[in-house]
Amino acid sequence: MTDKHNMSEINERLVNVTIDGKAITAPASLSTIQALWHAGYPRIKSVGCLEGVCGSCRVLVRREGNSEVKTQLGCQTLIEEGMQVMFLVFPRPTHHTYKLENINSSWEVQTKFHKIFPEASHCRECGGCNASCPKGIDVMRGVELAAKGRFREAGELFVECVMCDLCLTACPELIAPNHVGLFSRRVTAYFHIRPSNLIRRLEGLQRGKFQVTEE
Amino acid sequence: MTGIPYSEALVNYQSAKSRDLPESDMATDELLQAFHPDYREGSLVSLKVGPNQGDKCHRELAGLLQSDARIDEADLAGATIVETDVLVIGGGGAGCAAALMAEQSGARVIMATKLRLGDSNTVMAEGGIQASIERGDTPQMHLDDTLKAGHNRGDRKLVSQMVMDAPDVIRWLIQQGMQFDLDEFGDLMTRRAGGTSADRVVYYRDYTGLEMMRALRESVRNSKIDVWDYSPVVELMSNESGHCAGAVISNLKDCSYVLIEARSVILATGGIGRMHLNGFPTSNHFGATGDGLVLAYRLGAQLRDLDSFQYHPTGLAYPHHLAGTLITEGVRSAGAHLLNGLGERFVDELMTRDHVSAAILRECAEGRGVRVDENTAGVWLDTPGVERKTPGILKERLPKLVELGRKCGINPAEMPLLVYPTLHYQNGGIVIDENGLSTVPGLYCVGEVSGGIHGRNRIMGNALLEIISFGRQAGIKAAEMTHGRGHKKVTIGHLSKLRRELAVAGMPMDVKGPMLFPECAKFEKDADYEGFRRKKQ
Repeated sequence: MTDKHNMSEINERLVNVTIDGKAITAPASLSTIQALWHAGYPRIKSVGCLEGVCGSCRVLVRREGNSEVKTQLGCQTLIEEGMQVMFLVFPRPTHHTYKLENINSSWEVQTKFHKIFPEASHCRECGGCNASCPKGIDVMRGVELAAKGRFREAGELFVECVMCDLCLTACPELIAPNHVGLFSRRVTAYFHIRPSNLIRRLEGLQRGKFQVTEE
Repeated sequence: MTGIPYSEALVNYQSAKSRDLPESDMATDELLQAFHPDYREGSLVSLKVGPNQGDKCHRELAGLLQSDARIDEADLAGATIVETDVLVIGGGGAGCAAALMAEQSGARVIMATKLRLGDSNTVMAEGGIQASIERGDTPQMHLDDTLKAGHNRGDRKLVSQMVMDAPDVIRWLIQQGMQFDLDEFGDLMTRRAGGTSADRVVYYRDYTGLEMMRALRESVRNSKIDVWDYSPVVELMSNESGHCAGAVISNLKDCSYVLIEARSVILATGGIGRMHLNGFPTSNHFGATGDGLVLAYRLGAQLRDLDSFQYHPTGLAYPHHLAGTLITEGVRSAGAHLLNGLGERFVDELMTRDHVSAAILRECAEGRGVRVDENTAGVWLDTPGVERKTPGILKERLPKLVELGRKCGINPAEMPLLVYPTLHYQNGGIVIDENGLSTVPGLYCVGEVSGGIHGRNRIMGNALLEIISFGRQAGIKAAEMTHGRGHKKVTIGHLSKLRRELAVAGMPMDVKGPMLFPECAKFEKDADYEGFRRKKQ
């Protein structure tokens, strides 16, 4: 992704936007973060991978002529004429805590899940999580599946989750839906991924079957 | 840039009938000498100061290695002092693996990270992680491939340890709750890295790093590790006998300095992509500014291979605002060809990365590239060809690519993407032993900041392997050092020696290091980080 380094090359239509209260004029091909840099505001917080996978750059966006406010990732949002953007601070970490090794067997996962995430079964289906997700994940369905104990299926919905915590911020029941999704994915790996090719190799290594010449 | 105009090249692409590899290709050495950026005239200088005095180093990196410190004693008057057993600097994959193992070994651990936990190149890694697990493959072949691809400049001992550890690394990751792509029988799927002899890369779609980071971050959050975010290190500290004994943090939240005194320090700060060596775009994270190299070098750590960097062959060339964005090698691994402006293949796509990059640079330099404008050229990555061969593969196995296409307004199943090499990885780094220990006692270095494993060229999947393998090892070893007696006196006394040496060598004292943030986000003083304080220029 570009930064100031090759910005001189950009020669395109300029648009006017407001970012965190600052009026900025910048080329339309820039993301909200690049637009800030372009205008000389050296933003650091909420800047990360610039590729939409780290979840740092949470923004509120309102487009011209539309009263709706959307939550998006700043690095993935190209500026538009009249757009208003506000960077969000990161929320406090969730209060839910667990260790996979404290779940003794896969038979216990459902019981433990409801102890760790008691709010998950209180979902009032307000849809706030789905509306807030910048990746278009059906978060609410994921929470519902996890609460039913269908963890593999729930986890599959969260493949693209970047843990931006926007759904966590949006949820009035404090479910921490992204952590529910990640829990679902992690227990699936922890209890059910047992590849025979890997296990065979580990056994071989243990028996000393494979050596390398170190000279 | 010269080259074949975009629209004409597109016609050539669409009408080309055969996609055969031309029989003669240049030998690797010859090609690299002529076209690889490492060999560009004027890009190397000799270091004048420090443990690598006299060694060749990239010009821009040398400027930072021989820069003045950002702080002096006076800045630290009244600063808070915090004590711990193990200080981990960096919140990527290597830092997490090290911190988790140190904590599990009973140490008190602080993890200081410049941005947030998980903001790193790890989260962006796509291709996968190497582990010899298939029947026809052995750790020995993994070792041979790694050394050969690195032009036999890697450290055999380090690589041997890493390849033997690789299968257990995968098991450990699964235990952290990381998923991998499995076949219908539940076995790990593997794909082949360029320049290797077996299918050895295990992966999770093209989100391998994201999946890894999600699991590791959750493990760290649910441990006793004390995570300090927005806390870049501006200087390391040492004790009376030169043993690394902690670090000075510049806290971006309240603009204060904090001293963390530790029995041992693990440096896991990653690479240098955002230094934009030779003016190249980069695939790297916003925070990849080579801080660890500068910090360790000042404290006396030996570095190696400072003239060798990896330019990944398939960075996006166009559109401009996404230039440098990585397209995983997994795409070529799945069979995608590279085609020049004439619609012809020009290199075996599964050669090592340095070879393929140099070949792309050759096509562009000799006028066979696809020309977009004065500053932009590239070659085609034939994604539609892969889709034709295996319908559905892009969506199924390479969702991040499809998403990137969407941002470019291109459907990669129908249109080829324009690619150009992007600065991707620092092949060398801080010299380490099998435990990740540098030449400075008490200073461990793991991940991209360390050197020796990849020689002069890295193969896909060895970076994710290295960070976990050496991260775990260093975490365990660093925790063991907590049993010794404490430090008597912890200072930044090494800076007076540094400044003397810089003055004697006549180095410019106006360059301050470490860099901390890229040019576009630079501040006058550390106290200026907060908010929008810089006046528009």
